[in-house]
Amino acid sequence: MAPPPLARARPTEVAAVDLAVCDRCGLCLPLCPPEAIHLDFQDLLIDRHTCTGCRKCIAPCPVSALAMVANA
Amino acid sequence: MPDHDVLVVGAGPAGSVAAAEAKRAAPELDVLLIERDPFVGTPVRCAEGVGDPGLREFADPDGAPWAARKITRVIILAPDDTEVKVAWSDVAWILDRTRFDAALAAQAAAEGVEVQVATEAVGMGRTADGRWAMRLRTSSGEETVRAHVVIGADGVETMVGRWAGLDTRVPARDMESCAQYVLDGIDFDADAIYLQFGDHIAPGGYAWLFPKSERSANVGLGIVALKSDGRNAREYLDEWIARRYAGGARTGYTVGGVIVHHTLKRTHTDGVMICGDAAHMVNPLSGGGIVNAMKSGRLAGRAAAAAIRAGDTSQARLASYHQAWMDLLGEAHLKYYRIKQALADLDDAFFNGLARTVNGIPSHKRTLGRVFAHALVRHPQLIPVAARFFV
Repeated sequence: MAPPPLARARPTEVAAVDLAVCDRCGLCLPLCPPEAIHLDFQDLLIDRHTCTGCRKCIAPCPVSALAMVANA
Repeated sequence: MPDHDVLVVGAGPAGSVAAAEAKRAAPELDVLLIERDPFVGTPVRCAEGVGDPGLREFADPDGAPWAARKITRVIILAPDDTEVKVAWSDVAWILDRTRFDAALAAQAAAEGVEVQVATEAVGMGRTADGRWAMRLRTSSGEETVRAHVVIGADGVETMVGRWAGLDTRVPARDMESCAQYVLDGIDFDADAIYLQFGDHIAPGGYAWLFPKSERSANVGLGIVALKSDGRNAREYLDEWIARRYAGGARTGYTVGGVIVHHTLKRTHTDGVMICGDAAHMVNPLSGGGIVNAMKSGRLAGRAAAAAIRAGDTSQARLASYHQAWMDLLGEAHLKYYRIKQALADLDDAFFNGLARTVNGIPSHKRTLGRVFAHALVRHPQLIPVAARFFV
């Protein structure tokens, strides 16, 4: 998918969730400044194109289900 | 497209009370209450403690099947395990949230509210005539419903607020990361709740034990991740339990976020109100949110009914909801939030010293007011806390 015309530089890493560990508690949603995290029929989804790589969601996860991955 | 007057998203305490109050205030209205999970009240993401006076505004706990335990004492543990027993003027209760939430939803249904479970709100937009259209998803597919007023009672992860254009984001320092087990077969005073503070126990939060029966309790803690040594909430909790309640059987487990912020600057817009956790209406000092959720739900339900009857569901009209909440508790939460910020600067040595000071007060005179007065005399560091509280 083509980036939007005024997109800022792509982050080198973005957040990703391990759904085998995630408890779907929703804690990370309001922590995300660009609101890139959603619960979709109870599965956590992170929009790689919206994530800015700020890491604010990573440490607060009570079960460490979130990690940074290369933004391939 | 099915039409409703009021659509309430989320059948927790805020949503069920909001729906019931809207219907009670204006019985001619069509009120739909939707819940994402297949059973109202599950999963439980809560320590289940609630104060008696607030609870009684909505339901009678005496003999109720959803009231697990009556509480009459608070035991505060300093970081060095010094125990302080505080006399409590009010009684508290530990709920069975699965049953409690179901009872509130049943009350709403008895008022004439249509309750629909296993139904997730997946998106929302304005219609040409100024109503809201909400896309709903169930196991059998998607449908869209229209409503004059949408009440978002969809918790920490609120999407309704986001879709309506409200800023529901939370600074990381104001998010408690929580983990909790139900522990069976442990020893404690079953008439008391236990709270322990400490940078090595629960940095930025506290650890708790809330009894559910003589030998079973919710045992959990909340931390602020920015203050963590790198461990997550579950790892802190495992260490606390290994030290204090090693023999217990873990028969339940949950995690979740508690927003210890102040109320959102705006909790409403045209045709939308959000309440409870979704609107950051949790007591920022205690992390308690059940009664606040019900109180805000009651205000939102009544505001919705009055607005629809008046034919005006504009932002200006619904501002009365926000103002009523701020007058009732929102302004008080702002003060508590300032206290929380001041307390964040105090260290374990301070709390250990305070615990010993308080234990010097005879137990029957140990009210919170007297504790605070003694603390100010013996611990001048607290004066800025008091100053910020009263400013």
